[in-house]
Amino acid sequence: MTAAAADVALKKGQVGDPFSSAWRRRLPLLPALLYMVAITQLPFLVSIYYSLTNLKDRTQTLIPEPTKFVGIDNYRELYSDPFFRQAIWTSVKMTVLAVLLSLVIGTLFAILLDRKFLGQGLIRTLLITPFLLMPVVAALIWKQQMFSSLFGVLNKVLGFLGFNSVQFISDHPLGSIVTVLVWQWTPFMMLIVLAGLQSQPSDIIEAANVDGATSFGIFRQLTLPHLRRYLELGALLGSIYIVQAFDAIDVMTGGGPGSTNVPYYVYQQSIGGGFRYGAASAYAIVVVIFAIVIATFALRVLSSLFKDEERA
Amino acid sequence: MQKQRVGSVRSHRILAIGLIVAGAVVVATFVAAASGQSTKNTKKTISVAIVANPQMQDIASLTPSLFTAKTGIKVKYTILDEGKLRQVTTRDVGAGGKAFDAVMIGPYEAPQFGVAKLIKNLTPMAKADKAYNYNDLIPAVRNALSANGKMYASPFYGESSFLMYRKDILAKNNVTMPLHPTWQQVATIARKINTSSMAGICLRGKPGWGDLGASFTTVLNTWGGTWWSAKSNGKPDKAQVDQPAFKSALDFYAGLVQDAGEKDAANSSFNECLAQYQAGKVAMWYDATVAAGLLEAADSPVKGKNGYAFAPVNKTKASGWLWTWALAIPRSAPDTASAWKYIAWATSAQYIKAAGTHTKGGWAAIPPGTRLSTYRLPQYKAAAKAFAATTLSAMKAAPITNPGTTKRPGLPGVQYVGIPQFQDVGNRCTQFFSAVIAGSMKDTTALSQCQQIASQAIR
Amino acid sequence: MMRGTRLGVGERRAAVVGVGVLAWVVGLLWIFPVGWTLFTSFKTEQDAAAQTLHHGLGFGRYSDVSHSTTGVLSLQTAFMNSLVVVVVSTLIVLLLALPAAYALAIHPIHKWRDVLFFFISTKFLPIVASIFPIYVYAQKWNLIGTREVLIFLYIGINLPLAIWMIRSFFMEVPRELIEAAEIDGTSIFNQLRQVIMPIAAPGIAATALLCLIFAWNEYFYALQLNFANGSTMPQWVVANVSTRGNFLAKLSAASIIACLPVVIAGWAAQKRMIRGLSMGALK
Repeated sequence: MTAAAADVALKKGQVGDPFSSAWRRRLPLLPALLYMVAITQLPFLVSIYYSLTNLKDRTQTLIPEPTKFVGIDNYRELYSDPFFRQAIWTSVKMTVLAVLLSLVIGTLFAILLDRKFLGQGLIRTLLITPFLLMPVVAALIWKQQMFSSLFGVLNKVLGFLGFNSVQFISDHPLGSIVTVLVWQWTPFMMLIVLAGLQSQPSDIIEAANVDGATSFGIFRQLTLPHLRRYLELGALLGSIYIVQAFDAIDVMTGGGPGSTNVPYYVYQQSIGGGFRYGAASAYAIVVVIFAIVIATFALRVLSSLFKDEERA
Repeated sequence: MQKQRVGSVRSHRILAIGLIVAGAVVVATFVAAASGQSTKNTKKTISVAIVANPQMQDIASLTPSLFTAKTGIKVKYTILDEGKLRQVTTRDVGAGGKAFDAVMIGPYEAPQFGVAKLIKNLTPMAKADKAYNYNDLIPAVRNALSANGKMYASPFYGESSFLMYRKDILAKNNVTMPLHPTWQQVATIARKINTSSMAGICLRGKPGWGDLGASFTTVLNTWGGTWWSAKSNGKPDKAQVDQPAFKSALDFYAGLVQDAGEKDAANSSFNECLAQYQAGKVAMWYDATVAAGLLEAADSPVKGKNGYAFAPVNKTKASGWLWTWALAIPRSAPDTASAWKYIAWATSAQYIKAAGTHTKGGWAAIPPGTRLSTYRLPQYKAAAKAFAATTLSAMKAAPITNPGTTKRPGLPGVQYVGIPQFQDVGNRCTQFFSAVIAGSMKDTTALSQCQQIASQAIR
Repeated sequence: MMRGTRLGVGERRAAVVGVGVLAWVVGLLWIFPVGWTLFTSFKTEQDAAAQTLHHGLGFGRYSDVSHSTTGVLSLQTAFMNSLVVVVVSTLIVLLLALPAAYALAIHPIHKWRDVLFFFISTKFLPIVASIFPIYVYAQKWNLIGTREVLIFLYIGINLPLAIWMIRSFFMEVPRELIEAAEIDGTSIFNQLRQVIMPIAAPGIAATALLCLIFAWNEYFYALQLNFANGSTMPQWVVANVSTRGNFLAKLSAASIIACLPVVIAGWAAQKRMIRGLSMGALK
């Protein structure tokens, strides 16, 4: 090889070239990595600083109060705050219920939509629409049109059937919010499971059929294991977004016992009305730590999603 | 090899060109995005934040023809609902932001922000402006927006509260409503006329310090209760949610709603009660005086059927609330002079007269409750015959300095407590009270949780 | 690989028709709230509030909400703001995610698991937790009410998901093809163009669509940071909610208008989404 050719080969980092390979591998990753670090970790650091002070909105005190360092006072207050514990419990309930229900119903819909029938495309199109709506709009639709006790559609139907009207949002705040979340996220789960069903090799199914297996047996022994990864993907992606549910709570119940989840509670403490930025930052930090713990746990459990072989 | 090298050089060139083009596209979009912002050309433009009420929507649509055309000042409106408006203005004003030249606030915020020097004192400008006619403002309203003799916001819209009732339904039941009723009288009547198809009374139950909080606090006041006791220097002393008067007021309110109140009370505020009243599902309604304008509007199904009585009392002489939406200038506003020009026009008697003829709602829908001259306009007196006089008396009588039987902490107010912490405490406590009304929480639980919140807030 | 109408072994025609009917019923029921909103958007406000139909149907509410008053956030302004923010942020997400996914999929770096975990863990952080510092600095740098601040934040919201998804689509590309291209001396750019993209294209399109959906529908950041000037479509919709007076019909019309672009995009691309997800989100 001439020197020039060797140079070119070096620059292009061909297979088998150790020197530039490591950096060439890292370089494409850096912009994205740096961006995410900046946009998530910097606010985190600033929050840590604020959480050690008693920073409040200027309007909360009539005479200007200098912001002073209060150490871990905010954290102590957080520790003994019963409403925060309530919010955590509500978060858990809300997320688990919404994710599980939408996964189950989504799977059922996917099974339903898996074989061709007249208008299959149209029905599938209609079914995914709720996922495409703005969460604010979805919550408003359910609050004003469906759940309303005065003129809501559900209560009109109940009245038709001879039942008393139900005050959905007042009596069942968590249920109402979970309903809206499930309505929106079921189509998403359905798409993922549909993808799973359609990536199933049909010859194996046919072979099993020829052998005389029941549809239920086929589903349990062949389909479900194949779907496992898809279900886990759905659960992971769904949890990520549902745990942060905010719009539905803001629109439907405005917070309140039984429907305030952790993000909403933190919001209420800071710019949502409490305006106590120091204390709210402490809450935010604790929430972030919780989130990382849960993420670690979730991703270990769902490790099958990471079982890709490494590429050399 | 030779060919490959040339090939790779060419593809590098293509790559470079591709990146440059992509970069240029991104930059161009950014430039387009940024230049889309610069609407501040040679004409002056001010930014105003207002609440999403019909009268405010009206002035937004009339501004170009009635204001910009005459002064050359363009106005950009940000219209938000009450809750969001409050959050946004509090945050912006508190942080010394430059987002707005004028903000719409109420008598809860105005004195507090003013004392904290976060908004400008409008009194010198107001008094110097003859056309503004400072003495025309209803004194109670002006005082509600002032502290230490300085007016911090100019009122655009004002309301008190009173009781509206269906004269025909009461007559059918052989009941008469006195002009100054007590709550006990009202409760008896409500329970008497209550049927399964038409509830006796509509009372707010939706959580929020400005929703359930407002009507409940007026009841609390006249029951002799209070949220906090006051120290001699006006600062809050102790939370009083655990006192007998508070419990008795809450029990009365929740009990009345459960016995004779509207359906789904825990979700009902002004709009819901309005819809129910107009649909004939409730016979009485205790709420803002501005509701009367809607009930007597040309297209209202209950036009002409309503009687109006003063806000019911118990231990005090008057209990109607006082609320106004008023325009203030933040301390760090970019253009104070133009902001004042705008405010002076928007809250002037001339605008009120123009609104009578230029808006769809006509004379019944002009901004009420701010100026004495409004109630002398013959067209308004004709259009609002049924309720104008009562409204004006209610506003004049609102007991803002002494709403209850004991001294209150903070700056004056009827249906709220004039301390910054009240907003959050009120919001969170009314969540519990709303649950009591819905029947899903015991009153003792709600009261003890609220006492905790109220005590913590003033530590 | 859609299953055809040819009956498989052991299937009965009745069962297939039954499934079809059930699917129709389920689909129509599920979409009912949206259909009802569409219906309401044609009513008058009185009718909408009382759920009656006395005054007939028409497009009046649509012209009400799209009628622009000078100085008030108009449909056109909100639409343009949303469009620019969504398109620019998605483009930049792709620009950043494609190389990053390449680095994690093809010749992955040593610590690819940790890096991937980092990206996904950022999605678990509630955005509410960081809103105050973001607000403070946005104020300091005069970014309140601009499109730029939303673009920055939406990139942060969508980038982790995009990297994760595109990486798994890249993993679909057979290793032999890549190695062959490298031995031939093809540059990385050409590798991407000729070998990787044709296989991963549907998946990348699916990812872009998801990013568009989430960015278009995002409400919290837009509300908190854009309240004055640069409002987006979700804010425009909510501006129709009034505390004094009826608004249900106008709100319905506004909701339909605001959601239409994303709904149409989703409808058009659903097959691609399914194909993309089935191809490689997991292995």
